[in-house]
Amino acid sequence: MAFVNLQNVTYKYPLTKTPVLQNINLQVNEGEFVAVMGPNGAGKSTLCYALAGFVPHFFKGEISGSIEVDGKKSSESTLDEWVLNVGLAFQNPFNQISGAKYTVFEEIAFGLENIGVPREEMKDRVDEAMSLTGISDLADRSPYSLSGGQQQRVALTSILVMRPRLLVLDEPTSQMDPIGTREVFGVVRKMAEEGMTVVMVEHKVEWIAHFADRVIALKEGRVFLEGKPNDVLTSDLLVENGFGISRYTSAAREAKKQGLWKKDKLPVTLFEAAEGFKP
Amino acid sequence: MRERLSFHIKRDSALHRLNPLTKLLLVLALILSAFLTPFYWTPHILAILVIPILSVIGRVGREYLSTAFRLILPAATFLFLMQAFFHPIGKEIIFAFYFLDMTLESLMFAFGNAMRIVVMVSAFTIFLLTTHPSELMSDLSRRGLPGQFAYVIISTLQILPQVQAKAQTIISAQRSRGLETEGGFFKRAGALIPLIGPLVFGSLVEVEERAIAIEARGFTSKHVKTSLHEIPDTPTDIFLRWFLTTLIAASIGLKLWLS
Repeated sequence: MAFVNLQNVTYKYPLTKTPVLQNINLQVNEGEFVAVMGPNGAGKSTLCYALAGFVPHFFKGEISGSIEVDGKKSSESTLDEWVLNVGLAFQNPFNQISGAKYTVFEEIAFGLENIGVPREEMKDRVDEAMSLTGISDLADRSPYSLSGGQQQRVALTSILVMRPRLLVLDEPTSQMDPIGTREVFGVVRKMAEEGMTVVMVEHKVEWIAHFADRVIALKEGRVFLEGKPNDVLTSDLLVENGFGISRYTSAAREAKKQGLWKKDKLPVTLFEAAEGFKP
Repeated sequence: MRERLSFHIKRDSALHRLNPLTKLLLVLALILSAFLTPFYWTPHILAILVIPILSVIGRVGREYLSTAFRLILPAATFLFLMQAFFHPIGKEIIFAFYFLDMTLESLMFAFGNAMRIVVMVSAFTIFLLTTHPSELMSDLSRRGLPGQFAYVIISTLQILPQVQAKAQTIISAQRSRGLETEGGFFKRAGALIPLIGPLVFGSLVEVEERAIAIEARGFTSKHVKTSLHEIPDTPTDIFLRWFLTTLIAASIGLKLWLS
């Protein structure tokens, strides 16, 4: 039995006419790192909210089908219990700062205070999480004085420190530089190795190819393609349907038309492209 | 962006080590005794002797003095002058300046009131200087103040400067697209309209996201909350709270009895 199990999930926000998620079936195993991609309006964020329990508990609206994490049904749980198992960090880092705390250290401890973790354990866990995401040197800064990328790291750390079984990330690197992005992917990969299940919405296809176990491409609220990163990310269907693809894939596609790319498989990363173009 | 968003100064002193509620009661006791006392000189003694001593005990003497000179004294002086010249009591004019006259009674009255204001603002200043806002809020919520209420108060203090900064960004953006924000009254008032929409609707969206963010971090969890900061609460605190409560009750009682 899969750790995350979505069966025929269809969901409509209270004020929209068409469903944002349509008949979604999705299984994720424990410790698996799944990347979700898709154009704007494909339902990526809504899928994240659904996994994290905010759809429908917070947004209301009409939902059918079932959402199960670790054998428990979302519909039979309450939001405050659900978030203990499922952590959510989303795109806009500024709005994820609680506003009730004066330093980054306190900000990260906020969630642990809420769920009643004893003080000494709390300090250890915050220290550990901050060194994991590389923000130990920000501990005494005000969260509002940080750059967007740093705030995103704080937001991610604030969720990681709560040690959810399922980590849901909605474009957690959108304001980061390439080095920051790489580090975050590395941290997420490490968490997955340690048994945390990860679902991450992300557009940076090269990093997805590097780090994720599986890719799900969403389009208009449906699962459009699903499979191993290299199969999905090099599929012709992606280009034809307006998905972003890696520049190395684009280059190799053009090269293939002119007979310069000899291999069967198209590359996603720089390394694969370099290998393929070797005479 | 400003780094410091609170007055609090991190030091180790007898005042810092007191429980926030004890300090809050101390502030209340100081203010009530200054306002309700039947003795004329009480506010003066509090302002000139007790408050400075407290600031030294709290090791925030320098910070308190700088606030007092920059903020509290100018305000109190203004209040003093207004009341000394305009409060219509007393007959014998001791000082006149064109149409302004001051009597001994109005002088005494103004001086007493100015001192009360000094006591009130100073007591709060010392409280804010020696109390970490999150400590105050965790202590109050531990004592039964609803967590949501504490959150609203403390986050407002933090988020207001952010809203201000955002308003500034929106104004700059609108100006760069040709909005005129300078000129007469009506022009300036009119320039506010394109600001309100983005600011208000933007803030509403933000509120929703922030609600999700704190909910995701267990804000409404039914667990008993813990606190990162150790909040001091010693037998001294309990004794002081009893003492201060008695003092407050006594000053209210005395006032009622005498009136």
